[in-house]
Amino acid sequence: MTLLRSPSASATSIPSAPPARTNPNPLPHIAMFCWAVVTALPLLWAVVSSFKTDDEILNTPWSLPSSLEVDNWVRAWTAASIGRYFLNSLIVVGGALILTMLLGSLVAYALARYEFRGNRLIYYVFVAAMFFPVFLALVPLFFVVQQLGLLGTYPGLILVYTAYAVPFTVFFLHSFFRTLPSEIAEAAFLDGCSHGAVFFRVMLPLARPGLFAVGIFNFLGLWNQYLLPLVLNPDPDRYVLAQGLAALSVSQGYRSDWSGLFAGLTIAMLPVLIAYVAFQRHIRAGMTAGAVK
Amino acid sequence: MNPESQLRPYPTRRTLLRTAVTAAVAVPALAGCVTSSSDSPSAVSEGAEKTADNPLGVKADAPLEVVVFKGGYGDDYAVQAEKAYTGKYPQAKVDHKGLQKVGEAMQPRFVAGTPPDVVDNTGAGRLDIATLVGASQVNDLADLLDAPSLDQPGKKVRDTLLPGVVEDGTFAGRTVALNFTYTVWGVWYSKSFFASRGWTFPTSWAEMLTLSAEIRKAGVAPWTYQGKYPEYINDPLLSMAAKAGGTDLIKAVDNLQPGAWKQEGLVQAATAFAELAGRGFLMSGSEALSHTEAQAAWCQRKAAFIPCGSWLESEQKGVAPAGFDMVMGAVPALGPGKLPVSAVQAASSESFLVPAKAKNAAGGKEYLRLLFSKGSATAFAKANSTLPSVAGATDGLTLSSGLGSVRDAVTAAGTDTFTYRFRTWYAPLAKAVDDATGELVNKRLSPADWSTRIQKAADALAKDSTITKYER
Amino acid sequence: MRHGRWRFLLGALVPALVLHVVFVLSPYAQAFYLSLTDWTGVAGQASFVGADNYVRLGGDTLFLDAVRNNLVLLAVFPLVTIAIGLFLASMLRQSSSRLGAGYRIVYFFPQLLSLVVVAVLWSFVYNPNTGLLNSGLRAVGLGGLARSWLAEPSFALLSVAAVLVWSSVGFYVVLFSAAIEGIPAELFEAAKLDGAGRWAMFFRVTLPLVRESVQVAFVYLGIAALDAFAVVQIMTVGPGGPDGATEVIGLSLYRTAFSYGKFGYASAMGVALFFATLTLAVLALRSGRRERLELA
Repeated sequence: MTLLRSPSASATSIPSAPPARTNPNPLPHIAMFCWAVVTALPLLWAVVSSFKTDDEILNTPWSLPSSLEVDNWVRAWTAASIGRYFLNSLIVVGGALILTMLLGSLVAYALARYEFRGNRLIYYVFVAAMFFPVFLALVPLFFVVQQLGLLGTYPGLILVYTAYAVPFTVFFLHSFFRTLPSEIAEAAFLDGCSHGAVFFRVMLPLARPGLFAVGIFNFLGLWNQYLLPLVLNPDPDRYVLAQGLAALSVSQGYRSDWSGLFAGLTIAMLPVLIAYVAFQRHIRAGMTAGAVK
Repeated sequence: MNPESQLRPYPTRRTLLRTAVTAAVAVPALAGCVTSSSDSPSAVSEGAEKTADNPLGVKADAPLEVVVFKGGYGDDYAVQAEKAYTGKYPQAKVDHKGLQKVGEAMQPRFVAGTPPDVVDNTGAGRLDIATLVGASQVNDLADLLDAPSLDQPGKKVRDTLLPGVVEDGTFAGRTVALNFTYTVWGVWYSKSFFASRGWTFPTSWAEMLTLSAEIRKAGVAPWTYQGKYPEYINDPLLSMAAKAGGTDLIKAVDNLQPGAWKQEGLVQAATAFAELAGRGFLMSGSEALSHTEAQAAWCQRKAAFIPCGSWLESEQKGVAPAGFDMVMGAVPALGPGKLPVSAVQAASSESFLVPAKAKNAAGGKEYLRLLFSKGSATAFAKANSTLPSVAGATDGLTLSSGLGSVRDAVTAAGTDTFTYRFRTWYAPLAKAVDDATGELVNKRLSPADWSTRIQKAADALAKDSTITKYER
Repeated sequence: MRHGRWRFLLGALVPALVLHVVFVLSPYAQAFYLSLTDWTGVAGQASFVGADNYVRLGGDTLFLDAVRNNLVLLAVFPLVTIAIGLFLASMLRQSSSRLGAGYRIVYFFPQLLSLVVVAVLWSFVYNPNTGLLNSGLRAVGLGGLARSWLAEPSFALLSVAAVLVWSSVGFYVVLFSAAIEGIPAELFEAAKLDGAGRWAMFFRVTLPLVRESVQVAFVYLGIAALDAFAVVQIMTVGPGGPDGATEVIGLSLYRTAFSYGKFGYASAMGVALFFATLTLAVLALRSGRRERLELA
C-alpha cells in the first residue's frame, strides 16, 4: 500500500510566493523534459502497443501500429477476463472504500473531538499499525481469514482492506477534525442535535476537503493492492485487477497474447490516470492538507 | 488442504500438471479436518449382483453424484461419460457439478461423511490425497482396475492405461486415484523448418552438437529456453541423466541418497548442457526470456530447439505460424545408457477418485470405467488436443502435428517412461536445482560445482528433521 | 447528554477497533508467537522450538542473500529517488507555472499505477531482444550497452532498483515542490544578492529548509526498499534470481510460507523484517526533531 503509507504532509507548505520567473539557463528545462520523457515513454509505449499485432510488438517495438487492432482490447476484456477482474476490483475496492471512510472518519472524529481516558492509547494503537510491515502479519492473517470462512470471498477482502486502510485514514482525518471550529458543533448541540447527528450533519460536511483527499489516497492504495489479494484471494474467478494482470503475464499455460496483455495494462492504467488528471488539484491539496494544523 | 496447491498465486499449468501427479503425496500441510472421523466406510450401500455386463455390481436405480474440476479442459468430457452412464442405467439420476475449487467444496462433505460418488480432485485448492488416504477416505480401485474394459474386449481396465498411470495413483500399496490426462516432456522443433533446411532430429548428444554447429552456421540459434523459469532447461538435463543412469539414478535422487547428485549420469548431463552453453548454442538473451517470449522466438524460427512439456502446442496456438508443424522429440542420449533413447519423462494428472463413504461407490467406479473407456478418451483427445492416459485412445485419429508426435513418443517409449518425484516432494530442493542449472547454462557454474552445490542442498534437506521424507 | 455521548463514542470506535484487533493486531501478535514454533499449518500441531527458527535464518543462504539485497536497495533506492526528486523540484520552482504544473502531472503518473502494472510493463521494457530499452539503445548506436538486464547478476538488482526509482520519483517531486514553495521568496532573493550560484542556493537555502520533508521521505522510501516484493516477484528470473541476485525478504517469506508450508519459519522472517523496519524508522526519525513522532 505505497500510497496509504505515504507521508500526508510536508511540514512547511503553504505557498507564500509565486515561483521565480523563467530562467535563461536551458539546463533545468532539458533535465525536466528528459525526466518527463523517461516517465511518459513506457506508458505511451504500452498504450501504443495495445493497438499493435503480436508480430509488430515482437519485431518492431518502436514502430507505430500499421492498423489499429481494437480487437486486442475486446480480447483482453473478454477472453483474458480483464472485464471480470475490473468488476471484482470495483466491488472490493468500492465496498472497502465506503467502509473505510465511514469507520475511519468516525474514529478520527471521536478521538479528535472527545476527551476520555484511553483516547491517546487508542489513537496510537491505530496509527502505529501504519509503520508495521504487512509481511509480518501475512501468515497469521491468512489463517484468521481462513478460519472465519472468508478466504477468497468479497466480504473477506473488503474487511481486510478496510482494516488495513483505517489507520492511515484515522491519522489523516484526526488532524483535520481538530482544525474544525467548535462553535458550529456547539450551536448544533444547543439546537438539540444528538452526537451522531452533529457528526453526520455538521462535522462531516465541514471535513469534506479532507475526506475527499483521503478518499482518493485510499482509492489508489486499495485499487493497486497486490499482496493482500495474492494471499487471501486464491480463486481466479474473484481475482482483482492487479492480481489478474500478474497472472496473465507470469502464468504458464495461458495462450500467449502480448497485444492482449498490453491492452489489459492500458485498461488498468487509463482510469486512474484520467481520474488523476481530473482531480489532481485535490490530490495535491490533499498531500499538503495535513500541514494545515 | 495443501497450501501449495491452494495458494500458489498462479497455479501454473506446469505446477498443476506436476503436482497433480504425485498429487499431494507432497506436504500434507493444512490437512486439518479431513483427518477426523476416519474409521469404517460404514453406510455404503450394498451393490447389486456382479455380472459380466455389470462387473462392479452397480445398482441400476442408485443415484450418482459426480464432481468435476472445471479447468482448462472444461467439463464436457465428464458430462459425456455421465450421458453414457444414464444410457446404461436409465433409472439412475445423475447429479453433475463442475467446480473450480474442488477442495473447498468437498472438504466439509468428506468431514460430514457425505461425499459424492466421484471426485475429480484437481486444480488449485484440491484436497491433499495423502491426507485422504491416511484418513481412509478413499476407495480402493483394485476391482475397477481388474474389471473388463468397456470397449476393449479381453482387456482389463488396468491394461488399457498408459505406463505409470496406475503407479501415479497408488499410495501405500493401494491404487486410489486414476489420472485422466498424460503429459510428456521432450525437445521441440518445427518439422517444416527442419525439412526445408535438411536437418534431422538427432538421437545422440554428439549428433545434437554437430547439428547445432550446423544450425548456427545457417544463422539460426540452435537452442532457446524459457530462461525466466530455469526448471524448463532442467527437464532435458534430468531426462538425459535418467537415460544414462536408469531408474536407480532417479530413485537415488528422489530418496535423497548420499552422493545422489554426484552420480555419473547427472554430472555427464550437466557437462553436456554446460557445453551447449559454452559453445554458444543457446540463443542470446534466452536467459531473461519468459516462457511465452522464448516460445514465441522459437516459433519465429529464431531458434531451432526448445525444451517443453506436451502442453506447448496449445500454448502456442495463435503464435505459431501456419505450417510451422511443431513436433516433440525424445531428449537425445549421451551414449548407450540404462534406458533407451526413446524413453521419455511422463506423468499423468487430472485425478479421479471414489470416496470411501460414497453412497454409490460401485456406480462411481462404473462411471470411471465409462470415462476411461477408449471411446470417451478419444473424444477427449479430439476436443482438447491433449493426450489422455488411456493407451491407444488417439490411434487412427488425425492428430495435429504436435499431439501426434507426443503420441508417437509415448508409443516408442513403451514402458520406458520415468518421472522424478523430488520436485513435488521437496520444493526447496527443486528450487536449489533450478537455481544451479540456471547458473550452469549461463556459464557461471561448472558441472562439478553444479553437482556439489545441489548435493549440499540435498544433504541439508535429508538431515532436516522438520521436513517429512518420502521413499519410492 | 452523557449517555448519548458514550453511546456515540462506543458506536464510533467499537466496529473499527474490532476490525483492527481481528485483522491487524492479532495477526501481528500471533506472528511473534508463531516464529517460535515449527508450525506447518496443521491445527494444534505447533510445537515450541524456541529460537531455532532464528538460528536457522542465520544459516539460510537464500535468506542472507535477501537481507543483503534489501540492504543494497536501502542504500540505493531512497537516496537516488530523493536526489532526483529534490533536483526536479528545485528546477520546477524556477520554471513557468503552467509548464511546471504539466511536468508535475506527468511525473506523478507512475505513482498512480499498481506496482504490478509497473512491473509487467518494465519486464517488457527490459526484454533483452525485443524490449524498448535494448532496441532503443541499438537504434541510437549504443548496442554495446544492451544486455540481459534482469538475467545478469550484477545488473539484475540495479534494474529492479531503477524501476522502483522510476515509480516513486513523481510523488516526491510533488512533495518537495510543496515544501520548496513554502520557502519565502525573499530568502532566495537575499541569497541571490549575496551572489550565491545555483548550487550554493540549493545547499544553503533549499536543502536546510526542506530537511523535514526529506527525512519523512527517507522513512517511507526505506520501508519501500525493505519490501520490493511485487516488482521482484513479477519481473525477475526465478523469481528472485538469477541465483538469488534479486531475492528479497518478502519473497523469501512468501515462498517459505505459501509454497513450502513452513509457517513458523516464515513468521521468523517476518519478525526479522519488522525489527529492520523499526530500526530504520527510529534511526531516521531520531535524527530529526522529536515532534514528528507525535504526529498529532
